[in-house]
Amino acid sequence: MAVYIQSAAQISIQSPLCDDWFTDPILREERYFRSEEPDFKQYVDPMSARRMGRLLKRALASAKKALEGETATLDAIVTGTGLGCIETTEKFLLAMLKEGEQALPPSHFMQSTHNTIGSLIAQHLKCHGYNNTYTHRGTSFDCALQDVLMQFDLGALSSALVCANDEMTELYFQLFDQIGYWKKEDVKSEMFHNASSEGSFAGEVSATFLLERDRTEKSLCRLDGQVLMYQPDELRVREAIDELLRKGGIGWSDVDGVVCGYNAARSNDEVYARLMEALFPDVTQIYYKHLFGESFSASAMGYYVAALCLKRGEVPSHLVFKKGRTTTPKHILVYNHFQNKDHSVALLSC
Amino acid sequence: MSELIENLKNEIIEALNLEGMSPADIDENAALFNGGDPSVAGLGLDSIDALELIVLMERNYGIKLKNASEGKEIFRSVATMAEYISKNRTK
Repeated sequence: MAVYIQSAAQISIQSPLCDDWFTDPILREERYFRSEEPDFKQYVDPMSARRMGRLLKRALASAKKALEGETATLDAIVTGTGLGCIETTEKFLLAMLKEGEQALPPSHFMQSTHNTIGSLIAQHLKCHGYNNTYTHRGTSFDCALQDVLMQFDLGALSSALVCANDEMTELYFQLFDQIGYWKKEDVKSEMFHNASSEGSFAGEVSATFLLERDRTEKSLCRLDGQVLMYQPDELRVREAIDELLRKGGIGWSDVDGVVCGYNAARSNDEVYARLMEALFPDVTQIYYKHLFGESFSASAMGYYVAALCLKRGEVPSHLVFKKGRTTTPKHILVYNHFQNKDHSVALLSC
Repeated sequence: MSELIENLKNEIIEALNLEGMSPADIDENAALFNGGDPSVAGLGLDSIDALELIVLMERNYGIKLKNASEGKEIFRSVATMAEYISKNRTK
């Protein structure tokens, strides 16, 4: 059963809570950059916000932004997060060390779980429906989305928020740096087109999508389906795409673009390059991590990019990784993999 | 006592993350908790804040509250907190 992406909102290293990145992107060269913060007072009462960590404020603001002007009852809130409220968790653990496990601040403890994010959003939106959180590193959002799509299939939902929320603290950045997760030097855009070394650059993402069963004038696009795979070979990927194209009622030649998670790390990018060469050699490849950085929630921005390209009927040149045949985008695949183990592919159509 | 009250106000602002507030904004005799009644003047703190204040007293002044029923009077205002701290502090 197809569902419709009604709206989307993001807070990331691009300008927050708007789609400026589509026309006027900010290109960063630093290996580590934290999100651009909006004026939270517009979305969260300061007295309530004082107890929230940065990620919670971002999650709530992006959820409220995605729901702006919406009056429909929300049936579910499903969150994907790789690290949860890691900044608050760090504060709590550091306080444990400092205080010798005595006299610990309760607010940091309460917020140190991953599902704090989804429950806080539900509390503020007064949504008593289904609430779940998925924590599967780089495919957390993809798994959250799969849950929601399955429930739409079952007829259990008519509307749902699907969220992706991850922050990158300095400490975590350093830990990841030690295992070669990041580039050792400033990031140049050409590194994305010729990834000769490992490592990417860090970003942060809080993204929220409102999904509904029915199309409205406001709908960004249709989401025909999504398939999750574990260590798939090329044949399995072909089967998955076949399944999606069948659901969308289209053929392989109708695919106008494929959004890939190129992140300038050689082993990551080789997977996309190999698959695209085999499956879609003449189709435009779209990338986005050069704008949003790498994080466990980054894949959500792939969906955002595809949805906006479909809504606006164009793929801006700064999002084109490899130009294929020129068409007005009507059907776009979003392909994501995490360490070439967990893969996901989804079909979005206008 | 006035120095203790001033310190306590600063510690409360920090512990409860009362952004944009200064010690001068807190009336030491005003109610810390309003029981959800916005007509009662004061900071309007809630039960989680109460936990934070208990932790603050233990961490900064070495006071462990043993009798929960005392809490209501101790945490009535900054002034009552300061009075209790001055009589019971161990550090």
